[in-house]
Amino acid sequence: MEATSLLRLDGLTKRYPGVTALDGLTIDLPRGLVGLVGANGAGKTTMFRLLLGISKPTEGTIEVCGINVAMDPIGVRSRLGYMPEHDCLPLDQTAADVVSTFGELSGLPARAARQRASDVLDLVGLDEARFRPISGFSTGMRQRTKLAQALVGDPELVLLDEPTAGLDPLGREEMLALVARLGSFGISVLMATHLLDDVQQVCHHVVMIDAGRLVVSGATDSLLERTGFVTVDVGPRSEELVAALSKIGLPAVAGELLVEVTVDGEHEMDTLRDVIADLGLPLYRLTTRLTSLDEVFLRLATSPARA
Amino acid sequence: MISSDHGAVYDRGYRPYEGPRGLRGAAMFALYKASIRRALGIRRSWRQKFAPFVLLGVVTIPAIVNVGIGYVTRDRLENTFEIVTYRDYVGVSSALLLFVALVAPDVMCPDRRQRVLPLMFARPLTGVDYVIAKVGAIGSILFAFSFLPQVVLFLGNMLVSDSASEYFTGHLDVLWKIPVSVLALAMYYAVVSVAIASLTDRRIVAGAAVIGLLLITSIASGILVGDLNRGEGSIAALINIWVLPLYLRDLVFLGNIDPDSPLTEVSNGGLLAVVTYLAILLLGFGVLLRRYRWVER
Repeated sequence: MEATSLLRLDGLTKRYPGVTALDGLTIDLPRGLVGLVGANGAGKTTMFRLLLGISKPTEGTIEVCGINVAMDPIGVRSRLGYMPEHDCLPLDQTAADVVSTFGELSGLPARAARQRASDVLDLVGLDEARFRPISGFSTGMRQRTKLAQALVGDPELVLLDEPTAGLDPLGREEMLALVARLGSFGISVLMATHLLDDVQQVCHHVVMIDAGRLVVSGATDSLLERTGFVTVDVGPRSEELVAALSKIGLPAVAGELLVEVTVDGEHEMDTLRDVIADLGLPLYRLTTRLTSLDEVFLRLATSPARA
Repeated sequence: MISSDHGAVYDRGYRPYEGPRGLRGAAMFALYKASIRRALGIRRSWRQKFAPFVLLGVVTIPAIVNVGIGYVTRDRLENTFEIVTYRDYVGVSSALLLFVALVAPDVMCPDRRQRVLPLMFARPLTGVDYVIAKVGAIGSILFAFSFLPQVVLFLGNMLVSDSASEYFTGHLDVLWKIPVSVLALAMYYAVVSVAIASLTDRRIVAGAAVIGLLLITSIASGILVGDLNRGEGSIAALINIWVLPLYLRDLVFLGNIDPDSPLTEVSNGGLLAVVTYLAILLLGFGVLLRRYRWVER
C-alpha cells in the first residue's frame, strides 16, 4: 500500500564537530512537488544525505515513503532518485551509457535499463544527443542528463538539489517545466533551492529552513498572503483611472501598462469596479497581488517556526 | 500528439517501470560489469582498448611460441619441447604489472575526481559492495588474462604431443594447480592496486604509486637479501610485494618453496609467505573499507 506521507521527519538533528547542520526538524510532507528553501548553508544538502541514508542523524527519525531510513536505507534508496547540485557525471562516456548504467545500479535488468535510458533521455530532450560524450555537453544538457539518471530507476521521489543552478533564463524555464511535469507522472519531487521564484513557480508545498531550523512548512498558496494591492489592466487610459480614483480617495499608481490600487475590503473593491465602469474603460485584468516567497521568508526567518 | 501534413510528433510522456527490480546484489553486479567494460575499453575509443588487448597478446606469446616450436620439433626431439612450464607461466609477465598500474587507477580514480560516488551511493549500493565490485572486476580480468594463455599452452601441448589423451591424463594435476595459483595472483594484484588507486583521485599518481611500490619493495628486498645473507636466503625476501604471490604459486605446484628462491633457507618460509600474503590482502581490504566507510555513516 502506498504511504500517504512523502516524508516524515521527527526531531531530526545533525551535528558535526562545531556546527549544527539541522536542529530538531519535525515535518510531515505530502506527496507532490515540494520545495525545500533556504540560504546557502541552511542544511538542504545535509538533509538530502540523511534522506538517502548515506549520513546518519545525530538525533531523530526519518521516514521516506513510509520506510524508516535508519531501518532500511537500501529500501529507501531503491525508491529514490537523486540529482546533486555539483558536476557528477563521467565525462568520457555517452549520456546513453551513463544513464543506462545508473539504471542497472538502481536494480533494473540490463535490457530494461537501456530501454528506460532511451526513454528518459527523450523525455528530458536529449534524444538526439544521447550517443555523444558528456564532455561535449553544455551546462543545460548536463543538468538534463543528471535529471535523466535520477529518473531512470522510476523513483517514487526525486531529490533535486539546485536543479536550475548555472542555467540561462531559457534553460531554467525548460528545467522548471520538466520538474513540473514530473508531478503529472506521479513522481514526487523534493527540490532544494535558494531561488524562491523557482519554488513559487513549480511547487505545491514549501519547507523553509534557516541555519538548520524550520522556518515554515505549508502549502505554497497558503503562504502567499494578500498584500492589499490590486493590479488593474485597463489598457492605455490608465492615467484617466488614476485621476478618477484619486478624486474619491483611493490611492493608485500608474505603471507603464498597469495600475496598482491600494484597497481595503470588499467595499473599496466595489468602488474600484464602479469607477472603471463609469469611465467606460475596458477591464482586461484585475488581480490581487500576493506576497512573494521572498517576502514570506524574510518575514518569518527571524520569527518562531510554524508548521 | 502534434500532427501536420508532413508527419506527427508524439510526446511519449513517461512510462513507469513495472518489471523486476534487484537490490544490492543487482547493483553490485551492475557496477562489476561497468568496471570490466571500462577496464577493457568496451564502449570507449580504440586507445582505451589498446592496453588490455596488447597485454593479452603479450602474455599469450610464450604459449604460442612454446607450442609452435613443439610442433615443428615434434619428430626430432625425444622429449616434449618446453621453454616455459605451467608453474613459470603463472605471473611470468611484468606486463601484468603495467596493466594493473594502468587499469586499476582508470577504474577507481575518475569516480572520485568526477564526483560520481554520490550518484552511485544514492542507489541500493553500500561501500562494501563498491569495494567488492571494483576488486572483483580487476581480479576477474587479471585472472582471465593469466588463465587464458595457460589454456592455450595446455591445449597446444596436448595437441602436439604423441598422444593427447596420455598428455591429458599425465597432467591432470595442473588442472587445479593453475586456476588456484592464478586466482591467488589475480586477487593479490587486484587488491593491492585498487587499494593504492583508492588513495588518490589522480590516475597518473595512482599508476606511478603502484609501479613505484612494487619496484621499490623489489629493489629493497634484493639489497637486503643479498647483503645480509649472501645467498643463504632471508626473511627480507617477504617485503618484495611484487613476487610474494609467486611463493604461493610454488607452494601449490611444488608443495614447498622453490629451492632457488631467497626464502628457501628460512625456517617455515612457506608459512610466513602465506601469512604475509594474507596480511597484505587484509591490509588492502582494510584501506579500501576505510576509504569508503563514509557511505555507511
